[in-house]
Amino acid sequence: MQTSREDVGIAFRSALLAKGAQQRFSLLVLVIISIILIFIESIEARPLNILRSIIKDTVYRSSLIVSSPSKAFKSFTNFTGGYLNLHDNYKKLKEENIKLKNNKLRSDFLELENSQLRKLIDEQVVSSSNLVSARVMIDKQSPYINSFILNIGSNKSVKNGMAVLDGNFFIGRIVDVNFFSSRVLLISDLNSKIPILSEPSGVHAILSGHGIKKPTLEYLPENHTIKDGDKIYTSGKEGIFSTGIPIGKVKIEQKIIKVELFSKLDQITFVNIDIEKKERKK
Amino acid sequence: MVQSSLSIKFKILKLVPLFLLLFISLNGNSIVTFTFFSVNIHYILIYYWTLRRPDSLGYGFIFLSGIISDVVFGLPLGINALSLLFIAAVAAYVRTVTVRITLLNDWISFIPALIFANLIYFTSLHLSSYPIEYLHLLKNSISTFILYPILWAVFSLILNLTKT
Repeated sequence: MQTSREDVGIAFRSALLAKGAQQRFSLLVLVIISIILIFIESIEARPLNILRSIIKDTVYRSSLIVSSPSKAFKSFTNFTGGYLNLHDNYKKLKEENIKLKNNKLRSDFLELENSQLRKLIDEQVVSSSNLVSARVMIDKQSPYINSFILNIGSNKSVKNGMAVLDGNFFIGRIVDVNFFSSRVLLISDLNSKIPILSEPSGVHAILSGHGIKKPTLEYLPENHTIKDGDKIYTSGKEGIFSTGIPIGKVKIEQKIIKVELFSKLDQITFVNIDIEKKERKK
Repeated sequence: MVQSSLSIKFKILKLVPLFLLLFISLNGNSIVTFTFFSVNIHYILIYYWTLRRPDSLGYGFIFLSGIISDVVFGLPLGINALSLLFIAAVAAYVRTVTVRITLLNDWISFIPALIFANLIYFTSLHLSSYPIEYLHLLKNSISTFILYPILWAVFSLILNLTKT
């Protein structure tokens, strides 16, 4: 029995401590370094932040180079698929165009009226001058974290908490800023909690992400009147995002109030960052 | 001439595991997600090569690959590195105590490696206040375990090519 225990001990020591012929580091040393790194991550200090930014920027750029063949292949298949569906798409777009033309006159008037009313309540309207465009550098989705890497960072005045839009639709917020890159936490992520306003019911709630599934509405008032098809906008209650950025529409499935996003999160190449609202808060 | 070209070919083949390790971490493919399941090829790759040919994958490279994965996926630095090193540790231990390596032995001993690595992964994420879906983690572990023999066969083919 004693011998067996000794054998296990020897094997364990050999596995963890021995470097072997080709190994420069022992496993135990690297395990200790990893644990130290995890603890260091929670420390906020300027030199550490600079070091983190340099490491992250370097890895993102390397990742961009390594993933370029797979990206090229993906865009080639999308391109080919687009050509194959050209005729159907053309017919659909033609019908949509007729509908949009009919709605345009009415929406122009409403937009004018809306901006005038917002000016009255001293609320800033999101205009193209508030937005900074960025390209999605890496969109590899982890099953645990839904995020993008953008190709701009503190070099373009991007700051943590800024709203990120796909066209005019809200898709997430900045959570990590480096010198030349930044990370967007998407609304579908488990960590994402966004205050919203529903229209036409006017109910305030929190839009909560659930990983790969559709986000759901939480903290709703008891007798709410939300129904299928209601539009969801940012409420701006947290004071960081602009009010009224469209997010999606309500879809009730098995009594759970889900939100179908206006943007397809896996099809985004360029995004806009709402710079001015955050700047204004300073 | 023929001898030198063969030696270059073998050297390239020997670098395949290292190339794959760095490629999947930089490309963000360590967890491949299908419609109903996902597989952690990072774990299988490290387990197999640490067990079969430890000189192909240095522990330093495994650590580096974990750090790269952490950066790419936006996790606190060190979490993936730590769980990958635990996979390597279990593989190194199994290599020390096992005389004859077969698919069945490999496959069964992969269970504690998976459990340890996921426990470390889950605990580190929990301590860093990162919420995760437990069900997804469980499904990922099961499918990684089930699909181990397929990747085992592929890696064995590469290993045999470097031997012949």
